[in-house]
Amino acid sequence: MKRTRGGADEESPRQNGSAGRRKGSQQQGDGDDGGLAIGPPDLQDEDNDPGLRREIRSKYRDLINTVTQNREDMLSPSNNKLTEVLQEAVKLFKDVRQPREAALDAHLLVVATDLGNEKASQLFTEGTTFDPTAFSEHLLSFMGLNRLEDDEDEQQNGGAVDGYLPQDAWHRVARRAECCFRTAPSFHYMMGSFHAEPPPPKQRIERQRKAPSKEAKRIMPTQLKKMEDSHQEATEKEVERILGYLKSYYQDDPTSPISYYEFVIDPTSFSRTVENIFHMSFLIRDGLARMYLDNDKLPCIAPVEEGEVDAGGSYSRKQCIVSISPKIWKELIEAFDIRDTMIQPPNTQNE
Amino acid sequence: MCCCQRMTQRKRLSNTQSSSQNKRQSMPLASQEEDDDLTFPQPSSSQVQRGLERFTPAQVDQKTAEVVQFFLVRDQKKIPVRRADLVKHVLKDYRNIYPEIMKRAARTFDQVFGLKIVEIDSKNHMYILVNKLETAEAPPIMNPTNPKTGLLFVVLSLIFMKGGAVRENLIWNTLKKLRVDAGEKHEEFGDVKKAITDEFVRQRYLEYVRIPHTEPVEFEFRWGQRAEVEVSKVKILEFMGELHDQDPQSWTQQFREAHSISGSSQTAPSSR
Repeated sequence: MKRTRGGADEESPRQNGSAGRRKGSQQQGDGDDGGLAIGPPDLQDEDNDPGLRREIRSKYRDLINTVTQNREDMLSPSNNKLTEVLQEAVKLFKDVRQPREAALDAHLLVVATDLGNEKASQLFTEGTTFDPTAFSEHLLSFMGLNRLEDDEDEQQNGGAVDGYLPQDAWHRVARRAECCFRTAPSFHYMMGSFHAEPPPPKQRIERQRKAPSKEAKRIMPTQLKKMEDSHQEATEKEVERILGYLKSYYQDDPTSPISYYEFVIDPTSFSRTVENIFHMSFLIRDGLARMYLDNDKLPCIAPVEEGEVDAGGSYSRKQCIVSISPKIWKELIEAFDIRDTMIQPPNTQNE
Repeated sequence: MCCCQRMTQRKRLSNTQSSSQNKRQSMPLASQEEDDDLTFPQPSSSQVQRGLERFTPAQVDQKTAEVVQFFLVRDQKKIPVRRADLVKHVLKDYRNIYPEIMKRAARTFDQVFGLKIVEIDSKNHMYILVNKLETAEAPPIMNPTNPKTGLLFVVLSLIFMKGGAVRENLIWNTLKKLRVDAGEKHEEFGDVKKAITDEFVRQRYLEYVRIPHTEPVEFEFRWGQRAEVEVSKVKILEFMGELHDQDPQSWTQQFREAHSISGSSQTAPSSR
């Protein structure tokens, strides 16, 4: 009893270092050691020699590692490594005495059988066996690997800096592989999501307004050549006429501002008033007249001097919308006490 | 007792529309015998007729268009569309005419987009979009290639050439030889392990299955349902032949598998 306990004590530091699951079998080991202690002394010594036990277990573990970690190697039909491992195991088994070693042997058997199973399935394959190592070699060449050396062994560990792959290596594979897939192309919105942007800058508006003024000047002489009666012509004539009125009123008294409303309103006809407003807007658009607010914040108009026209072009243009209804028209007439129209209706009525 | 009766009743109902459903979709995997989606009982064809009467043609067209759009957007990530999601988010009140809407959507995909709706999981009712048209021999250069396709191709070919299932270690070790270390961040693929075990699996290109009785736990890879439908084994074998400078027929078993009715995705080998 004493001897076995001593044996157990001697074994414990080793067991601390060994795998965790070894601890579970520690109790069983003690019991078994106790059982084996009943045998003859010399056999007992060999069976309990911790050094020998350790050696056997270590060899088993080596074999197991060989099989599990070099799996592809062992599978390769070109060698007999698996058979060699099994032969080693058979030799080792002769010295197995304790369950711990037997457990390792059993583990090795499981792993080796598994491998054997796979090897066997390879045997049944008709035609060429597929070798992943060869596959990877060929694929590397396809990807454009620049090999520096032709050493097979070195290329097996991927970390070896042995030749370099070009940047588009995987793109090449992808391109060639694409035709094996019948993937639905994915749908993406062409224009992307709604992107709010600030409205275009005012500069563009200015340029647009400059152009018509030039065109208007050009159009007028052209239309005078044509003797056709058109609405546009009539409008132009009317606009000119009103400009004439404006200028004459202004010349009469340059200092006194002309009220916009007084100018355009015809107290006898609402439609005439609207026409006047319409024609006035052309004058302002073309820069021939300008509208401003006087001290009482009432709109006034004045013709633009000849020399001012170009300078007026560089002013920042403003737009406004004038609206009028019969009700407002009457209110304005009352407010401004307009008795007479400043713009005489034209003689020809061709509306 | 009554539970049994209800089940047979449902079975009868689903049998009556199985014929119309077969017309609607061509799916090699679908078996329509039992609808065990208890949250959404399959409407019968008479229910569908009555349902159609409730809506104007314009409304039905609108719903169809919404379903089509739903599919297209979901397909961007290649995640399958679940019928439950369709019903919950798009169909809503129109669930009674679900089969009719799906029929029309499939027709739209077919005629407008050249795509097919395929049910890859008849139990959970999941659908993917697959291209009806063959990819051109030399696809236009302006289409950018996704290098992940190359990675996926390597994994799929390994599985196929190895008979349909491989232990994960084979994949990792082969990739290592190709300078792709699953344990490290790859400059093109990033987290390789995640791409293969998570992304490709969710897209149904791969299946990552636990091998029973392994300690420590080991997994194996198989082709996923999407791969079965989308990928041509014939073409993979052709590429293998090119790489190894061998006749594809020399891999007899794989060749047979690729050209069998279940194996091929209805593609004829190109003349090279």
